[in-house]
Amino acid sequence: MIVTPLGDGRFRVSDGDRERTAWAAGPASARWVFFDGRVYLVSATGSRDRGESRAAHDEMALASPMPATVASVNVAPGQTVARGDVLVMLEAMKMELPITAPRDGRVRSVACKPGELVQAGVPLVELE
Amino acid sequence: MFRRILIANRGEIAVRVIRACRELGVEAVAVYSDADAGALHLSLADRAVRIGPPAAAASYLSGDAVLAAARQTAADAIHPGYGFLSENHEFAAACAAAGVMFIGPPADVIARMGSKIAARQLASQAGVPVVPGETPSEQSDEAIAAAARRLGFPVLVKPSEGGGGIGMKRVREDAALLPAVAQSRREALAAFGDGTLYVERLIDRPRHVEIQILADHHGHVIHLFERECSLQRRHQKVVEETPSVALTPALRARMGDAAVAVARAAGYRNAGTVEFLLDGTGDEAHFYFLEMNTRLQVEHPVTELTTGIDLVAAQIRIAAGEPLKWPQDHVVRRGHAIEVRVYAEDPMRDHLPQAGPLLLYRQPSMPGIRIDAGVVEGDEISVHYDPMIAKLIAGGDTREAARRRAIEALRTYPILGIRTNVPFLIRLLEHPRFVSGDIDTGLIDAERQALVAGLDAEPPPEVLAVAAAENRNGVGGHLKRTVPDPWESLQGWRG
Repeated sequence: MIVTPLGDGRFRVSDGDRERTAWAAGPASARWVFFDGRVYLVSATGSRDRGESRAAHDEMALASPMPATVASVNVAPGQTVARGDVLVMLEAMKMELPITAPRDGRVRSVACKPGELVQAGVPLVELE
Repeated sequence: MFRRILIANRGEIAVRVIRACRELGVEAVAVYSDADAGALHLSLADRAVRIGPPAAAASYLSGDAVLAAARQTAADAIHPGYGFLSENHEFAAACAAAGVMFIGPPADVIARMGSKIAARQLASQAGVPVVPGETPSEQSDEAIAAAARRLGFPVLVKPSEGGGGIGMKRVREDAALLPAVAQSRREALAAFGDGTLYVERLIDRPRHVEIQILADHHGHVIHLFERECSLQRRHQKVVEETPSVALTPALRARMGDAAVAVARAAGYRNAGTVEFLLDGTGDEAHFYFLEMNTRLQVEHPVTELTTGIDLVAAQIRIAAGEPLKWPQDHVVRRGHAIEVRVYAEDPMRDHLPQAGPLLLYRQPSMPGIRIDAGVVEGDEISVHYDPMIAKLIAGGDTREAARRRAIEALRTYPILGIRTNVPFLIRLLEHPRFVSGDIDTGLIDAERQALVAGLDAEPPPEVLAVAAAENRNGVGGHLKRTVPDPWESLQGWRG
C-alpha cells in the first residue's frame, strides 16, 4: 500500500491496482480521517477513540457531548443499571438528549443535578 | 420589485435567499448574532447587521431586533427563511405595521394555519380528510389521558403549537399514557412556552407526503407536486425525495387538488406546504391533512430540481405583487431528486448533536449534485443553533440514478473535526428498503441496527497509514482558517 500526500489534507491511497482518495486533518492526538465514505478518529498511537478501555469508554458515554441543561437525573449511587437505561436526561438545541448506560453495572456516583448547566466532556455519572 | 431585502435567518437558508436576491437584482441585508460574526452568509450579503448575542431568543428570534435592523438599513422587505420568525404571526403583523413587506402569507393566515385545531377545521370544511383527534378543552393530564383513551390506542400526544416533532409522543398502552403526557407538556412549555396538548389517532407505518403550493395576490393557486418525506428520525426529516413512489397519477392529482383547496380556503398567499399522512399506497391509499407549513421548507430544492421553478425567487416575486407565471397545466416535472440532510451528530450515540470546528470541509462537485451549505472550512459548528450543516440534493432521470449520485457524492464529501451523519446517510441510501421504495416514517427506528452496525469499526490499514502520513507531513491539521472566495464555495448550485 502506498499513501501519497496530495497536499491540503488530501491523500491518494494506492492499494494494489486500486486508487482511492482519503482526507485527513487534526492534531496527532485526535486525527480525523475520511476514507471510503467513513469517518475515523485516530490517536497518535494508532488506537481508536472508542473502546480502548472500559474506563475510557464509560467516560465518553457518560459525558455530555455539548453544553446542556440537566432535565432529570434518573439514578442514585448504589443503584443497579442495565445497558441502555437512561441515567440522565439533558436538554440542548431544543432536544432531549438521553445519557444511557453503556453497560450493565452499579452507579458509583452522580456528578450533576436537575437544572444544572453542564459542560461538554465532563462525565455526569460514574459506574463501578 | 423590492430594492433591498433583509434576510432574517442564518446558515444555508440565509445563503440560499441572498443568492436569489442577487439573481433578482435586489440588495441583500444579512443579520447575525455574535456566534455568527464570521459566517458565510455575511460575506455574501451587501450589508450585514449585528442583531444580538448568540442565544436565538435575543437575536434571530427577536422580532424587535430584526425590525430595528430593517429600519436601520431601509430594507423594504424581510425574508424569514424557515424556522426562527418564519411562522410567527405577531412578527408578520409587526412587519406590516412597520411598513416592511413580510415575504410570506399574511399574519392572520399564519395564525390560523399555525393552530393545529383551526387548520384541521379549515381543511375539514374544505372537504379534505383529517386524522381523528382533538385538543381537549380541559387540559389537565387526566383529561388529556381520557381523551386519548376515547380515541383508542395507539395514540399520538403532541403540543398544539409548534412543530418539528418536538414533544410528540406515541403511546401504545395505557400504562405509558400519563408519563408521555407529562413529558410532552414539559417539552411543549420549554420549546414553545405553551403547554396546550393535542391527541390524535396514530396511523401505524404512515408515509409523510407533502404538496408544495404557490399562491399569488391575484387569485391564482397552483401546486408543484409532492415531496416524500417519510424518512424521519424523531420526527426530523432526514431524506426527502420527489416523486413519491407511493403515488399513482390519480392519487397525486387528488392530493394536489386537496392542497390547493386548503390553500384557497385559508386565503393563502406566497409559498406554502400542505402536509399529509398517507395510509397505504396507490389508488387504494387514504390521505389525511396533517398541517400546513406557512413558509419555505428545508426540502424545497427537490421541487426546484424537478420542476425548474426557483421557489425563493417565486416567493419574492409574489410578495412584490407579481402574478404567477405558470398556470397549473404548465407546471411539469422531470426526473427524480433526492435530498439528504447532513447533520453534525454522532450516529453511534443516538445521533447526539455535535459541536466543534470544521477542520476540513470539502464539498463534492459533480453532475446532478447541488449542495446548499452555510459553512466553509474553518467554521465552527456552535451549540447555539440547529446542527444541520448542509443539504445535498441529487438529481437524475430516474430514482435509481439520483440515489446512486447521492451516494457517490456523499462518499467524496469529507467533513472532519466533528462527527456527522454522512456514513449513516450512505447506509440509509443503500438500505434494501430504501432501494425498493418500501419506506415509512418508522423505517429508521425499525432498521436502526442495520443502519449503524459497524459504523464504529476499527480503522482499516489504509486509514492508519493516512493518519500516519498526515503525521509525517507535519501539516498540523489545517487548523488555519482558510478564506475561500465565497462564490467558489457555492459550487453545485443551480445556475
